[in-house]
Amino acid sequence: MTAVQAPPEARGQGTMAARPRRKRSPLGSRWTPFLFLAPAVVFILVFQAIPLLQQIYMSFTKTTLLNPTRSEWVGLDNYAWIVGDPEFQRTLATTFVYVVICVVGSVGLGLGLAMLLNRAFVGRGFARALITVPWAAPGIAVALIATWMLNAQYGIVNRLLDAIGLGVPGGAILDSPTYALPAILVTTIWQLFPFTSVVLLSALQAVPQELTEAATMDGAGRWWTFRAVTWQVIKPTVGLLALLMTIWSIRRFELIWLMTRGGPVGATETLVIDLYSQAFESQQLGRAAAIGMVGVIISLVVILASRMVARIAERKDAS
Amino acid sequence: MNRLGRGIIAASAVVASGALVLSGCSAGSPEAETGEPGGVTTVTFAASTFGDPGRGPLLLELIDEFNTSQDSIRVAAAAVPYPTFGQTILTQMGSGLGPDLIRFDMPEFASASDAGLIHPLDDLIDAGDYDLLKQPDQFMVHDGVRHGIIFEASNYGMFYNTDLIPEPPTDYDEFVEIAQSLTGGDTFGLAFRQTEAEEAGVWQDIFNYVYGFGGAWSDGKKLTIDSPENLEGLEAYQALYDAEVIPKGADAATFRRMFAEGKVGMELNNGGYVSATKGQAPDLNFSVAPIPFPVRAQGAILAPIVINEASPAKEAAATFIEWVLEPEQQVKLQEILGASSVATATERSAASLEETPFLPVFDELTETSLPHVVLGFEAMTPDIRKVVVKNVIAALQGEQTMQEALDNAQEEASDLVG
Repeated sequence: MTAVQAPPEARGQGTMAARPRRKRSPLGSRWTPFLFLAPAVVFILVFQAIPLLQQIYMSFTKTTLLNPTRSEWVGLDNYAWIVGDPEFQRTLATTFVYVVICVVGSVGLGLGLAMLLNRAFVGRGFARALITVPWAAPGIAVALIATWMLNAQYGIVNRLLDAIGLGVPGGAILDSPTYALPAILVTTIWQLFPFTSVVLLSALQAVPQELTEAATMDGAGRWWTFRAVTWQVIKPTVGLLALLMTIWSIRRFELIWLMTRGGPVGATETLVIDLYSQAFESQQLGRAAAIGMVGVIISLVVILASRMVARIAERKDAS
Repeated sequence: MNRLGRGIIAASAVVASGALVLSGCSAGSPEAETGEPGGVTTVTFAASTFGDPGRGPLLLELIDEFNTSQDSIRVAAAAVPYPTFGQTILTQMGSGLGPDLIRFDMPEFASASDAGLIHPLDDLIDAGDYDLLKQPDQFMVHDGVRHGIIFEASNYGMFYNTDLIPEPPTDYDEFVEIAQSLTGGDTFGLAFRQTEAEEAGVWQDIFNYVYGFGGAWSDGKKLTIDSPENLEGLEAYQALYDAEVIPKGADAATFRRMFAEGKVGMELNNGGYVSATKGQAPDLNFSVAPIPFPVRAQGAILAPIVINEASPAKEAAATFIEWVLEPEQQVKLQEILGASSVATATERSAASLEETPFLPVFDELTETSLPHVVLGFEAMTPDIRKVVVKNVIAALQGEQTMQEALDNAQEEASDLVG
């Protein structure tokens, strides 16, 4: 019979009392996770949870910037004002148009560019680096440069448009209720699409080459190869980008504010511009909080909807 | 370490994190700002003009002079940029914080005064001791209570390039004629603000057209935005816009640079801008004349100095105001501010008059100048301004006629003021 030798730790157990007991580090206790989480929890509580609760409360009060501590409970008045204000409805419509075009434009253009950059050509590395410049530029610099480019007197855009016979009457693109929003959209997409293209380029590089080759050998054309192979791989990334772009577009402030301040005649007034204007120009914090809550609700709806779409797609793929 | 010990460590971490986060909230409290080592009370004085390239350093010198003259009070200047000055200071004051002394512009002064954020001066300063200029000073008193003292008053006049316009226009027709005749190539006869992005600036500019044609935003009790005189003035403003005698779309910074480069013939501006123009273009030949509109009434930038209601050093702050009001300091301040006026009547020096011969033009406009507020609705001025400017811009853009713009503005603004 072979004697089974106990492992060294077990062997030592009988002599435990004789050895000095090793002190357990407090970092190994069950409180350790809480210890590490505490700063983050405090940060979230102080800077997010409490302000959000305060905003919810404030949206039911009449609070002014000049007397923020002396608020008066007004129930749903602020929300009733929002619903009944035709200008707010226009603000919502402008926000919707701005967000949809930003998302479609930046993701669509980013995808096209990513597919181009995914091909082999001379100077590809340089092109990939160059394309990130608009994204790397600070938003304020982009807004100021765009404003100069669109300037009625000195702007290069007007000169080019005039040269090809498409000049805007008077030349003041940012002062025209018709052209101001398209100008802001072009600027926004110009700044955003490098980011989407870089992210999508990394997703495209994860597409297995053998699958693409197999599809081609099976006689699939470019479109079918893209649809059956490439799209299936990059779909989650596109979904995530669309979600990010939506949220970022809803809350985009500095570019619009610096270029038009929501004008002319409210043509570029989005939700956040209206919120800022109510809070700091009209000094109505209660109304601004209610507008902010509308933004929070829209963002939540977008997130939930994107999750639902992702789940449905997953189930479809599984079946 | 036992369970209790570990619990204490975790709890301490939470408390320490919270303390670290919350400690930032008390740094700007008035008590912290006026800590008094050696019995010296520090008074903070916020003004956007401290950052002006020409006048800022001279104003700081004046403050240094005050500090040298005092043993127990020290004034510390806080330069806050003009575009965000009102918002920054009002937000601080609304929270019970902010500087002790503030140089406000009128709309913000009216809002702060209405909200009880400004300390009444009647108990601290005897205004009767000083020969205050009556016209601008009347706007410092609300319901019989004095809330401010004029620090600077800048009347609006017509700046013109004397190389392009040897003799200034004396009536509106001449004004239009010169504007049209000078416009050509990249030179424009006139410039004014006309974009919603410069809402406050547009308000200041259209103010001259409204009052210069005999109009007014209110009669003191009710709004008169849609009055025939206002319509006439704003149609004149629109006619100049449509005549393309201005650089459309150019903001104030751009067209003022154009003026400095000799590419704009005329612009309506306030006296505070004389120093800036000279600083920007020392060789530019320009002068100033009264605005040649039918009625001699124009806007003025009134900038009162006030004491924050939340200030723990009100008496020290009042000491500084009294020092500034002394005749000797008024003359010095007048010299620093150039074409602007100060709280009291002062004599301009021969050197100033030789250097800037048109200074008396601004002084003569004091009696007919009005601040950019809606009289009787001073605290609501920012809201009314937003409504009016939005509608006027819509008229310029052809979205509605000027008559419709004023009708809509009257209705919307009346709803706002109740």
